[in-house]
Amino acid sequence: MKARLAISLATASLWHRRKVLALVCLTLTLSVTLLLGIQYLRTEVKQSFTSTISDTDLIIGARSGQINLLLYTVFHIGDATNNIRWSTFQELKQDTRIDWLIPISLGDSYKGFRVVGTDESFGKHFRFGRGQPLTLASGQWFDGVFDVVLGAGVAKKLNHALDDKIILSHGGGSTSFSNHTNTPFTVTGILEPTGTPVDQAVYISLQGMEAIHVGWESGVAIPGRTLTPEQAEGRNFTPSAITAVFAGLDRKILTFRVQRDLNQYTGEPLSAILPGVALSELWRLMSQFERALLGITGFVVITSLIGLIAVLLTLQTQRAHEIAILRATGASPGLIASLYIIECLALAVVACVISLALSTFVVSMLGPWLLTNYGLQVQLRPLNIEEWALLASVPLAAVVVALIPAFSAWQQSRSQGFGSPGES
Amino acid sequence: MNSQSESSTQRPADETAAIEVKDLTFRWDKHQPALTFPDLRLPQGEHLFLHGPSGTGKSTFLSLLAGMLPPATGSISLLGTAIQKLGAGKRDRFRADHIGVIFQQFNLVPYLTTEANVTLPCRLSRTRKASTGETPASSAHRLLTALAIPESHWQRKVTQLSIGQQQRIAAARALIGAPEIILADEPTSALDSDNRDRFINLLLTLAEERNTSVLFVSHDRSLAQRFHHQIQLGQVPA
Repeated sequence: MKARLAISLATASLWHRRKVLALVCLTLTLSVTLLLGIQYLRTEVKQSFTSTISDTDLIIGARSGQINLLLYTVFHIGDATNNIRWSTFQELKQDTRIDWLIPISLGDSYKGFRVVGTDESFGKHFRFGRGQPLTLASGQWFDGVFDVVLGAGVAKKLNHALDDKIILSHGGGSTSFSNHTNTPFTVTGILEPTGTPVDQAVYISLQGMEAIHVGWESGVAIPGRTLTPEQAEGRNFTPSAITAVFAGLDRKILTFRVQRDLNQYTGEPLSAILPGVALSELWRLMSQFERALLGITGFVVITSLIGLIAVLLTLQTQRAHEIAILRATGASPGLIASLYIIECLALAVVACVISLALSTFVVSMLGPWLLTNYGLQVQLRPLNIEEWALLASVPLAAVVVALIPAFSAWQQSRSQGFGSPGES
Repeated sequence: MNSQSESSTQRPADETAAIEVKDLTFRWDKHQPALTFPDLRLPQGEHLFLHGPSGTGKSTFLSLLAGMLPPATGSISLLGTAIQKLGAGKRDRFRADHIGVIFQQFNLVPYLTTEANVTLPCRLSRTRKASTGETPASSAHRLLTALAIPESHWQRKVTQLSIGQQQRIAAARALIGAPEIILADEPTSALDSDNRDRFINLLLTLAEERNTSVLFVSHDRSLAQRFHHQIQLGQVPA
């Protein structure tokens, strides 16, 4: 009976002061939305990051550290320490434990985007996210020597369509002075956005990669020795080396044994890494930052809760008459104190509910836009336990801080005399 | 502090009095002199007019009677219960069950409707609720009708009403559930003379119907003749 009275009084009181409290509630809502949003994004970005590449059991490259190998093969950051001989790649193909191999040949760029030389197995076996395959938004995979498939980000940024002719540059960097001007490539396909570095690269065949480098053995084009597309027709371009290999195994249980065998390969020094392990190691390096961000947001919520308490304490002086009436009518100091706790809790719950709705709206509106413009994969999903816990901590914190005005009201109303305070 | 009793009639002492006060003193803190209050005995159903100029401790006296402040010495017996011996929680419950209060002004909870203000005591006390003999709402409606509050005001926020109406609503709140005692602290000081006389007549008539004792505090002596007893608090300034 008393609890119901307290709740109905608190509700009426909140409604009565809705104009002032709406602003406080708005502040709290925004800060809770920020907190929830950052926690949500943290999970999403981590998910998106660690699923940059999936289903690939091993990445094999020249001997180097696992982060380095991961960075240049998957993220197209930095350069390879060395190449793998073509013969080694052929030997790997003979290994019965290995189901499929994707050769990767790096080194050139197109207006700042990496050129990846590969073969048809890339389109067939490469997986990202939760095992999603690459799909073409338009056109088809490269077939001819001078065909190129563009990542979604490249096509969007440079506004390319099918059948555009593009000139690749030798080496990395966005302003290269040595271009493969004799051998323009034709866009035959454009990939769907993936939200991974795949979007930020262009794909050609290993033959194409080899063909444009005929006559470039010294690092620059030697006039007269480079090929024209006409000369390239019908010739066989077998590369002498590739940069790295993505491998998928028949039986995952053999992953570690194959990795050890490759690391001890006698033909040349190789490194084989498990992409999942390397990705989480890389994420650990960056998680300090996102933790700090979450911490800051936590403080924003605490600040707005303190603001809420400041407002409630200010309102307390206005409420002296009402408290006097309730006390004289027989309400206990505990009931008066509980009004503050209920009001504070109600405000926090309202703020949480609104911010939940707000976040849902924002994520569902911005999700597709983020993917196409920033390659960030943020999908609407049910909250996980950690996020629910974070959300639930807001009303809990509100109750804790509400103890301040509640205690002061309790103390005041215990010594409350008849009539208004101050009168005797 | 002197006091003089002008009680007209004396009832037999064995009957349980509504209010009985003996040797009552109070001090706000150790350094201030104690306020002393007159002994008094108010039989059930009779009304007492307590007269005293400002600063003579009228509100303090009511706070002591209502059990909201603890006395320094002396005893307060309401309906045979020594309230200064009760714990804080029991005093609150006793007040909810047996005492109606009317203040000088700001009598109503601003965010409740007229009806919700009147039925407030029934929500704080089962005894008061049971004594209505019907639903608190219908009891409130009868009281509001008797106190001439138009029906159109019943579901309205009380802040839109005139002072006279607000004081009458406060009276309805004090009367609902027929408490044995009503403590009224200068309830008419903000009213004009017409409203004041009407208010006192209605309050006392309705209290008599319920056998409720009214302790009425005012600095306006002209109101005293409507009461069975009157007491002077403090010295009248020369």
